[in-house]
Amino acid sequence: MDAFFVSVEELADPTLKGKPVVVGGKAHERGVVSAASYAVRKFGVHSAMPLREAYRRCPQAIFIEGSPAKYREYSRKARKILKGFSPSVEMASIDEAYLDMTGCERLLGPPLKAAHDLHEAVRAETGLPCSLGIGCSRLTAKIGSGLAKPNGILRVMPGAEAAFLAPLDIARIPGVGKTMQQKLRRLGIRKIGQIAQQDAGFLADRFGKAGLALAGKARGEDAGAWFSAPFTDRETPKSFSHETTFGEDTMDGALIDATLAKLVQLTARRLREHRLFGRTVQLKIRYSDFTTVTRARTLDSPTRLDSVILRAIRELFRKNRQRGRPVRLLGVHIGSLEESEGQLPLIDKEQRQKWSRALEAADALRDRFGESAVGLAAALRHGRRERVHENPAVSAGKENLEKTETAPNRS
Amino acid sequence: MELTLKTSDLVEELSVGQGAVEKKTTIPVLSNVLIEARAGEVVLTATDLEISIQSSCPAAVKENGSTTLPSRRLLDYVRLLPDMELAFRVLENQSASLTCGRSRTRIAGMSAENYPELPEMPAVLTHIPAKVLTNAISKTSFAVADEESRYTLTGALLIIREDSLVMVATDGHRMAYFEKPHKFDGISGEVKGLIPKKALAELSMLAEKLAAQGDESLTIMVDFASDENHLFFRCGKRLLVMRKLTGQFPDYERVLPREAGMSIEIGREEFMAAVRRVAQFADERSRAVRLELEEGQLKLIASGSDAGESEESLPTVYSGDRVQVGFNSVYMLDFLGAVSEARNVEIQFKDEESAGQFRIPGEDSYDYRYVVMPMRV
Repeated sequence: MDAFFVSVEELADPTLKGKPVVVGGKAHERGVVSAASYAVRKFGVHSAMPLREAYRRCPQAIFIEGSPAKYREYSRKARKILKGFSPSVEMASIDEAYLDMTGCERLLGPPLKAAHDLHEAVRAETGLPCSLGIGCSRLTAKIGSGLAKPNGILRVMPGAEAAFLAPLDIARIPGVGKTMQQKLRRLGIRKIGQIAQQDAGFLADRFGKAGLALAGKARGEDAGAWFSAPFTDRETPKSFSHETTFGEDTMDGALIDATLAKLVQLTARRLREHRLFGRTVQLKIRYSDFTTVTRARTLDSPTRLDSVILRAIRELFRKNRQRGRPVRLLGVHIGSLEESEGQLPLIDKEQRQKWSRALEAADALRDRFGESAVGLAAALRHGRRERVHENPAVSAGKENLEKTETAPNRS
Repeated sequence: MELTLKTSDLVEELSVGQGAVEKKTTIPVLSNVLIEARAGEVVLTATDLEISIQSSCPAAVKENGSTTLPSRRLLDYVRLLPDMELAFRVLENQSASLTCGRSRTRIAGMSAENYPELPEMPAVLTHIPAKVLTNAISKTSFAVADEESRYTLTGALLIIREDSLVMVATDGHRMAYFEKPHKFDGISGEVKGLIPKKALAELSMLAEKLAAQGDESLTIMVDFASDENHLFFRCGKRLLVMRKLTGQFPDYERVLPREAGMSIEIGREEFMAAVRRVAQFADERSRAVRLELEEGQLKLIASGSDAGESEESLPTVYSGDRVQVGFNSVYMLDFLGAVSEARNVEIQFKDEESAGQFRIPGEDSYDYRYVVMPMRV
C-alpha cells in the first residue's frame, strides 16, 4: 500500500490530500513517526524518525495520532481482495503482501493484466492507492514495488533481474541497514551491480552469513533470513508485542504498574483475536540513559488471559527493575504461540473460566464501541494511545514488521 | 573447646546436616556448621533460616565450648580421613586444629556468637510412625509446584487429626492426596502446616534413616511439635525445624472427583513401559500422550511432534463407550514411579475435559489418589 496510514486518514479527511502529513503523534511529543505522506517525505521526514525531528524538518506538517484499529481493518479488507487473486497470500506486514501467482495465468491472464486488475480491485473496494512489483522472486517483486510507488506497477522480466538491480543504490536492498551500507560504501560499493561483481567469498569474509545472502540478493534471488524461508500463507503470527514511551521518564510506581497492565491488556487482546495462546512472556524496560533490559519467563502452560500474563509481567518487573533509575519505555511481548491451551488447570478452574468469559464479553464491547470501551481497572491511570508502525520504506526482515503486531516473524 | 571423636560419626552427622547449609553466601556464617561440645557429646547445627537440622555424636570432651566451621569443607576433609579417633581443638581466632593419626590440619572458622539461635522445640504434640511419613512424602512431594509465583503451592500440606494423617500437594495441574488412618494421641481437632519442598526432602531423609534402625513395623516414631511459625520433627537424636509456608492452600477437597466415570485396571510395569516408549514421540513442550479407551483395550498414542508418532495398545477389561483423553506423560510417570509397590494401577476418567484419577486398586491400609487434569490434544 502507498503511504498506507496516511492514505487511510485521507479517506476520512480528504482535505489532507497532497499535504505534508505525519502519523504517529503530536509534533512536540516523544515517540517516532509511524507513517509520512509523500509531500512530507520531500522534507526528509521518514518513518521511525523521532516526531520532534520531523517537526524540525517540516514545521508546517499536519501531525496525526493515528488509529491502529482502522488500519488493521483496512489491512484485512485488502487481504480479502488479494485472496481473490491467489490462494497463497503472505502478509509480510500490515500493509505489504506477497502473492504466489504460480498457475494463475489461465485464470487471470498474463502477469501485467492480472496486476492491473488487482490494482484496480484494491482501488475500487478500499479507495486506497497501492503499488505492485512483479518478479520471479519475492526480493525483485519487493524492490520493484518500491520503485513503482506511488500508484504504479513494475514488472521485472525473467532473466533480467541482475540488469534491473545493477544501477540501483545498495540502500534499496531489503535487510541492508545503516551499518552495512556504511561498510559497503567504505569498500567503494554504492550500486547493487557492484555487489554482484564481487566474489561471494569476499562478501562472506566481511559480512559472514549476511554477506552470502547479500551476494544472492544482488542477483535477485530470495536469499537471507527472511527471504530464504519458504513462502507461507500462514496467517498465524509468531508473537505479539506492545510497547510505549512515557511522555516524561518516570519512577512513579503506580503509573508504571498501570502502564504494564495496559500493555498486557492490549497484547492479550491480540492473542484472543487470533485465537491463540502464548507461553513465553517478555518484559522490556528502557531507562532514561537508553540502556535496555529484556527479561522473559516461560509459563507452565499457555494462556490468553490478562490476569495470568499480568501476574508474570509484574513479577518480571519486580525482579529486574533497577531502583532509582527513571524508566523511559516499557514493552510487553508474548511468544511461543500455540493453538491450544494444552494443560488444563485443576485448581483455579472456575476462576479462569470466569476470567475467560469476562474477557470475551469485554472484547465484544471493544469490537462494537472501540478499544477504550472497557479495560482493566489497574490500567486506568495510563491513558496510553495505541500506535502501529508502517513499513520503513526499504528494508525487510526484522524492521519490516508491524511494531504492535509482530506478523510472520521469521528473522 | 577440646575433644576427641570418631571420624565416621562426624562424617555421618555432617552429611545429615548438609541439606540445611545455606548454598548462597549472603550471610557467611550460614555456610558454617555450629559445633558445640557438652558433656559426652558434640552437637552439630546447620541452618539456612528456613530449615535447621541439629544432630549430635558421642565425644570425649575435655573442655566445653563452641565454634563454627565451613560445613562443606569440613565434611570434604574429614571424609578422606581413615576411620579412627580425631582430636579436635579450637585455637584462638576461631580456627580449629584437627589431628588424626599423622594428619594435622587447621581450618579457619567464625565465632559461634554470630550463629542464629534455633527456635525452642515446644512440648511434643504427638508421635508419627516414621514409615508413614516417608510413604506420605514419597507419594506427594513430586506434585509440589516449582513455580515461585504460586507461592502456596511450593509446599505440601500436612494435616494431623486424631485418627489420620493427610498429606496433599498440587502444582495447579495435578494433585497427590495421601491419607493414612492412624490413632494420634494428644491431638484434638487437627494440626496443619505447609511444608516447603526442600524441607520435605530433608524430613524424608531423616525419617528414613530412623526407620532403617528398626524392623518393618510402625513402632519407630518421629516426635512432632508445632509453634506459630515452625514445625518440629525429632527423629531420634536428630531434630529438624522448619519454617511453615504462610498462605492459603487451595481447597483440595473440591478437587477430588466425586463420580468415577470409566475405570480400568492395568499392570503397572506394562503401562509404565508403554508410556515411556510412546512418550518418546510426544510433543517436546507439552509431553502429551493420548489415552484411548475402547472395548478390551487401552491405546496410548503420541503424535504431533516433527519426530514422528507412536502408538501402543494394552489389553484391559473394558466394555463401555469409547473415551479419549490426553495427559502429560511426565505426570503419569511420576505417579507410576511413586507406587512401585503396586502390581496394578487403576485409572479413572470421565471425558477429555474432566480430571482423571489414578489409584492403587485394593490398597486399604491407606488412601492414595492422584488427580490429573487432561491436556487438549
